[in-house]
Amino acid sequence: MAKQSPVVGRYVTIDVDGCEYKVFYLRNGSGVPLVCQHTAGCHNHQWMGLLEDPDITANYDVIAYDLARHGKSDPPHNREWWKEEYLLTAEHFMNFITAFCEALELDRPIFMGSSFGGNVALQLALHHPDKFRAVIPVEAAEHAPGFFLDLWRHPHANAAQVCGSGVWDLMAPQSPEQDRWQTWHYYTQGAEVFKGDLHFYSIDHDMRGQLGNIDTRRCPVIMMTGTYDYLTPPEATEATARQIPGGIYIEMEDIGHFPMSENYPLFAVYLKEALRIIESKS
Amino acid sequence: MVMSVRDWATRFSEASDRDQTIGAMAKYFTCTYLWDMGTAKVIVEMIDGKVYRINVDPAPMDAYDFALRASPQTWREFARPIPAPMFHGIWSASFRRDLKIEGNTLALMQNLRNFTVQFELLRKVGVPV
Repeated sequence: MAKQSPVVGRYVTIDVDGCEYKVFYLRNGSGVPLVCQHTAGCHNHQWMGLLEDPDITANYDVIAYDLARHGKSDPPHNREWWKEEYLLTAEHFMNFITAFCEALELDRPIFMGSSFGGNVALQLALHHPDKFRAVIPVEAAEHAPGFFLDLWRHPHANAAQVCGSGVWDLMAPQSPEQDRWQTWHYYTQGAEVFKGDLHFYSIDHDMRGQLGNIDTRRCPVIMMTGTYDYLTPPEATEATARQIPGGIYIEMEDIGHFPMSENYPLFAVYLKEALRIIESKS
Repeated sequence: MVMSVRDWATRFSEASDRDQTIGAMAKYFTCTYLWDMGTAKVIVEMIDGKVYRINVDPAPMDAYDFALRASPQTWREFARPIPAPMFHGIWSASFRRDLKIEGNTLALMQNLRNFTVQFELLRKVGVPV
């Protein structure tokens, strides 16, 4: 008898700012929808540990999508996208997420993302607090400059290896070797979009001076960062959470910038605490 | 007791040349780099994935593609079996600690995968400072 995963993949077509996107998503579970955004230059397989976790999927409808241009989600079908540089903006990113959630008719999902997915979670809490039950920004901060770099897709270097190895030490050395190399492998697949994603991450995402306007009574914010994240170090996330009235910060020991794929069992310990806090506020 | 730089060079060469991960992907791993550890400096010359030579007493005019410079304390932290946060790689240390990456960084990027694996051999081999 073959070992079958309970995770199911499907496509949905959405319109975002005039772009027609055919979006691939993975889904498993029932209960409160928990929508998951992968990191920049990656895809939804980063969330496979969560998608297959029976402790979570017993009570949560876990949905992990590939952002357009990532994984199995194509660039827009109705545009000559190859004639313009891909530079992701906060507005388009948020419009994509809200359109996706509306297309699936999700009732105020919890939104969780890591890295640039964490940063957009903060944006959603500020701009769309009534559309989400709560947000869990992972490895996020109010501002994350310094990573929008030409080296990610320099034609004289092997961009796949540069992207995979350039983020290698965003992971903790004690995370399981199999999982770290799996995460590295994911990163070799997104080299063409990584830099454009980082336009949002390091340039367009700048919430300095705006965090006090997040209303956590409407949309609770639970931030989590690993101690081995050099890009958004724990002190940056903690400083961000402190500026959000009612914002909560959880520090994750012995893990890095890709907690959901580099060491899911350890990440799950912290995630369950975040979900418990959200339940207590609902 | 700090090992001599010559002993370190022998151990590092052997560890690199028999590393299975480097062996699997390093056919074109060719570059020359300087590691400046403060009280010790070495120039490692890689050709087609093998350590061709380690210059343990570099002269000012000896050439290399790129250099990594940091304090002896930082190099010792790199060499712990499980380094503390921010000492666990060249990017974390250059963002958050005193590591400087200089020279032709394109050469570093062209060889980044194998160089990264090789750098982490320090956790097994140690450092001569």
